[in-house]
Amino acid sequence: MPAIELTNLSKTFRVKVRGEGFKHAVASVFKPVYKPVEAVKCVNLSVEQGEMLAFIGPNGAGKSTTIKMLTGILHPTSGSAKVLGLDPVRERRRLSYRIGAVFGQKSQLSFHLPPTDSFRLLCDVYEVDRNTYRERLGRLVELLELGEFLDTPVRKLSLGQRVRCEFAASLLHAPEILFLDEPTIGLDVVVKQQIRELITRLNREENVTVFLTSHDAGDVESLCRRAVVIDRGSVALDIPVKKLKYDYLNKKVVSLKFTQAAQLPEIDGVTVVKSSPYTVKLNIDTRTTPVARVLAALSADNIADITITDPPMEEIIAAIYTNRREDGA
Amino acid sequence: MKIQKYFSLIRINIKNALVYRANVTGRVIFYFVFIFIFFSLWGMIYSGGEIAGYSLSQMIWYLCITELITFTSGNSVFGRMNEEVKSGSIAYQLLRPWNYVFKQFSEALGEMSFCAAVFTAMAVVLGLIFAGPLQGFPAAAVPLMLLSMLLSVTMNFFLMMSLGLTAFFMEENSSFYLIYQKLLFIFGLFLPIEFLPQWAQNILRYLPFSLITWGPAKMIVDFSWHHAALVLPAQALWAAAAVLLAMFIFSRGVKKVNVQGG
Repeated sequence: MPAIELTNLSKTFRVKVRGEGFKHAVASVFKPVYKPVEAVKCVNLSVEQGEMLAFIGPNGAGKSTTIKMLTGILHPTSGSAKVLGLDPVRERRRLSYRIGAVFGQKSQLSFHLPPTDSFRLLCDVYEVDRNTYRERLGRLVELLELGEFLDTPVRKLSLGQRVRCEFAASLLHAPEILFLDEPTIGLDVVVKQQIRELITRLNREENVTVFLTSHDAGDVESLCRRAVVIDRGSVALDIPVKKLKYDYLNKKVVSLKFTQAAQLPEIDGVTVVKSSPYTVKLNIDTRTTPVARVLAALSADNIADITITDPPMEEIIAAIYTNRREDGA
Repeated sequence: MKIQKYFSLIRINIKNALVYRANVTGRVIFYFVFIFIFFSLWGMIYSGGEIAGYSLSQMIWYLCITELITFTSGNSVFGRMNEEVKSGSIAYQLLRPWNYVFKQFSEALGEMSFCAAVFTAMAVVLGLIFAGPLQGFPAAAVPLMLLSMLLSVTMNFFLMMSLGLTAFFMEENSSFYLIYQKLLFIFGLFLPIEFLPQWAQNILRYLPFSLITWGPAKMIVDFSWHHAALVLPAQALWAAAAVLLAMFIFSRGVKKVNVQGG
């Protein structure tokens, strides 16, 4: 049985239309005009138990709406969703014991109290017995290195510390599926890495199914084998991350600062995005040109600063659409 | 086991209220100002004797108690519901295995038990200063009085919650809250209903507004078994109705939750 199964899942919101002018304002009091907005259109998707799936797409593509339907928060307009064999809407509470969620932009911890208080509360809310709770918390404290600030009020924690606590809070009841909505947003590299390791470990040791939305190409690459790209409410692409990477992630963005004005030699597979005498920003196609070859072409003495990054997810997604349209898809 | 989570919610919110102490300080001052103004006002109006069956001392105590009730249960449940529904953050509360309506009530109980302790102390101190000890106060009836206050706090909470939850269906609902506050104020909070004509009294003594304030306050300042037998069952019925109303509005509204993005 798949962990998650969506059949023709659709959600249409009704949005009130406000015309301009006084006449419309008066008319809308008596007869409001609604415009249907199709946030999710006929999505079919099946996720196996223990799979880690990246669910990606531009803002407003329907990602969050889909997650909310999977967790029973939103009622689908048509079609059906089955999560762990349950109907999320009708069996929301039964399902809630078995799933966990982390929303990067939303806190579930009591702001003025230390995280331990929130953990204790959640343990009662999920009806976890005290021994299991202690054992589980001990393990999470160790994995996420929470020991130092367990007794500090949440409002005094740094973002990285807080997000680590959010993860612990979502995992105390040992969920079978973990929904992650932009979990690493705004975090530094070290914390990102820590969280990715935790997720990988949970997946390996407890066979937790992970449903991830992220704009961070690094998250997608390091965690997921399969990527589903959603755009304007429909599934646009359902492919292995390896292929996504080969087709779209094979670009590096290199920013350089020079000590003296420099002219860059022409190299195959390198496009200049921005350029001024002292700085330059390059896109490198790593399939044809390794980054090292570009660096070798520069004189090392002249380089004041260098940054190498992955292109942001938005760009990758944009690339996907450009290609799809070119293909006539 | 199941009820445990609600006790846990109460406990964590008492803790929260203790951290938030500063919030209460402002209201403590306001409570004092309120009692002082009405103490001066009634002092001018009374020239000895009774009005509508209340002596000056009973009138001051009456106000101390109605204010105690509204200051304790007048927590921001309306505003919170409104905000949670409109911002869509209510959605995240639905992810957990709890009954949302009772979860809110447990949280409020935590906060209210702290306020109740503070404002009961205020009521007793100010009552003793401004009005002196209550004559003929029946200590044996204290459990009934506490029950009556608990029922009014419950009624008040669930009625305000119901009003707040109307945000599911309408964009602007704060006028409900204003009207509700005014009704509480005129039908029992600052005037006992005995000040009104007989026909109005006959209606008001069965309405929630008076039962929230006048019901328990009259029971404390002028206890009679007759009054208790009239008020307590009516309060219990209204409290139950208010709980059901809040649950009904919630179950209707939750189907309409619209949260995009975020």
